[in-house]
This record gives sequence, C-alpha cells and structure tokens, in this order.
Amino acid sequence: MKKLTLIAIVGALMMISSFASAQTATGALTVTATVNGSISLVFNSDASGVALTGAGSNVATLAFGNVSAYGALGAGVSRAVGASNFTVSSPFDVLVSKSNSASANYTLKAQLNAVDATNAWQVGGVAVTNAAQSTVTATGAYGSNVPFSLALTIPFATASGTNISNAVNFTATAN
Amino acid sequence: MVRAAALISLLLAGNCLLAQTTAQGTINATLDHKNGIALIFNTDAAGVSLGNSGTSAASVNFGTISAFGNLAAGVSRPVVNAANFTVRTIFDVQVIQGGTNSPNYTLRANLAAAAPTGFTYLIDGISLTTTAQTVQTNGGYATDIPHNLDLTVLTAAPGAGGPAVGTPLSTTINFTATAN
Repeated sequence: MKKLTLIAIVGALMMISSFASAQTATGALTVTATVNGSISLVFNSDASGVALTGAGSNVATLAFGNVSAYGALGAGVSRAVGASNFTVSSPFDVLVSKSNSASANYTLKAQLNAVDATNAWQVGGVAVTNAAQSTVTATGAYGSNVPFSLALTIPFATASGTNISNAVNFTATAN
Repeated sequence: MVRAAALISLLLAGNCLLAQTTAQGTINATLDHKNGIALIFNTDAAGVSLGNSGTSAASVNFGTISAFGNLAAGVSRPVVNAANFTVRTIFDVQVIQGGTNSPNYTLRANLAAAAPTGFTYLIDGISLTTTAQTVQTNGGYATDIPHNLDLTVLTAAPGAGGPAVGTPLSTTINFTATAN
C-alpha cells in the first residue's frame, strides 16, 4: 500500500514537473478602427418594368428596346402617345441602405449625363436634364425598393432607326 | 663611477625579476541552458502594415471603416448585410523556439477587455471574448503564419445598439503560444 502511494506521489510530481516546464510566449495586438456612417444606392428591376442589366448594383442599364408610337413594345414598357410625340416608360427600383446612421430618410437627385436637345427625360414624373440635378424625392425610405418611372419622350420627327442612349446619374443624400 | 653603474645594473635586474612574477586564477563559468519560445507579430503582405511589426506588442489600425465607403489598403469587407458588416485584415504570427523538442505550438487569444458596443472581434473565424480561446493547435515554429482578423460591426445607429461613430475605438487582443 505504501509502495502504491509512493508511486502515485512520484507520478503526480512528474506531472507537475511536466506542466511547469510547458513553454509559453505571449503577445499583445492592439486593434483600432473608426466607424463612419454610410449609405449605398443600388438599382433593382421592378416586377412591372424592364429587367435591368446590372440589377443589384449601382451601375445598371435599362434597355427599352425598339420603341415606336404605334408598334409593339418590349415587356415592361408602357406608352403614351401625344399629338407630336410619344412617351415610353418603365418602372425601376432604387434601394438605398444606411449603416451606423440616425438619418430618417434620404433625398434622391438625378441628372442626365449628356445633353439631349431632342428628347425629354423624366424620373418619377420629374424632368431630368443635363443642366442641373433634379430632386426626385426628398423623403426616400431606407432599406426598401422604391419604384420610380423612367420616361422618355420622343418626337414623331425622329428618324426611324435612331439610337437614343444616355445615362442618368443619381445621388442619394442622407437627411 | 663603476659603483654607480653596478647599482643601476642591479636595479634593472630587480625590475626584470619583478616582471617575471606571475599570478594564476581560475574562473568557473556555468552556462544554464534555458529552453523557451517567443512570439512576435509581423505585417502580412496582404494586410494592414502593423505598428511595431516584429515585436510582441504590435498594433493594427483599420483606419476609417464603414459598410459602404472606401477602405484603407490591406482592409477588405467580406460581408455586408442589413444587420452588420465585417472588415478584415491579415497579420502574421511567428513563434520561435530554442532548446525544446516541441514540434509545434498552440495559439490562444482573448480580448484584454470587453469589446466596444457594436463590435465583435474574430481571429480566423473564432469570436473572441475575454476568456482565452484556441486559435490554432499545431502552429509551426519559425515561420510567419497568417491569421485573419475580422471586425464585425453592427449597422445600427449609435445609441440604438450600434458603435460610436467618428471616433477611434481600440481593443487589445492578448495572444499566448504554448509549446506542445
């Protein structure tokens, strides 16, 4: 019995010795970051409109396809015909998200990238030109798709086969 | 004249005799060979440049971070969702050993203090707390081992569960390497 006890004690001492000899090294890494509030804007396809190319990003394309005053139109394109021109339109969605901000809503402004002296452009019923930014909404809600209509009015005098292309630049500003 | 010369000669002889006096001593030097390991942080080529790289007390500054804005060099943003976003950088840990037969080491990490509101720190996907957690169990000695340092930030506004904005927030992560 004594022998067993002695063996146990020696064993325990050996274990203690083993633990005591475990080599350790330490280091400290100080991590610093400064958080800023931010917002983002992306375009999404609207269920009722033309499917966007680049949906889900902030650089998208809405292609009306072939348009005419009386002919067939692409899916998602609507038309209104006037006395001397016709207007084609399609809804698209704008999604503005916020982070680390107490802003309640945002202001959305739009501006044509290049001058268009022939055709008229509207976003959400607001005329958009190259001259200055136009306010499309002053109370945009964060975190949800907000639909806007992109309308293009084309004179009857426009030659058939004319390609119309422009970019509309949008800026969302947190209120 | 001759007497004087002889006296001078004796003095010189005495001087020579003095120069031949020697003394001996023995210094018993003992070398106590201690084994041990050391840990240092190094800048990773793909990450933020560390302050005090090459030491065991380094710093990493993510700079200004946000869910959607620009990030500093060496910082990526692998996750953005409605609830939070994550910024990531990479740093290297190098552990060296001497006088041991240890094949590798275990690396543990813990926060020195509770994380600031809205922040979660992760090393290689392991969420850190003030209790040490194992980051790696088989670290190789004498080589830079890269580790991902993730900072997950709640997107909520300050005062609504999100972090303070516009002010640097710092935390220290303590690392311990133990020889296996």
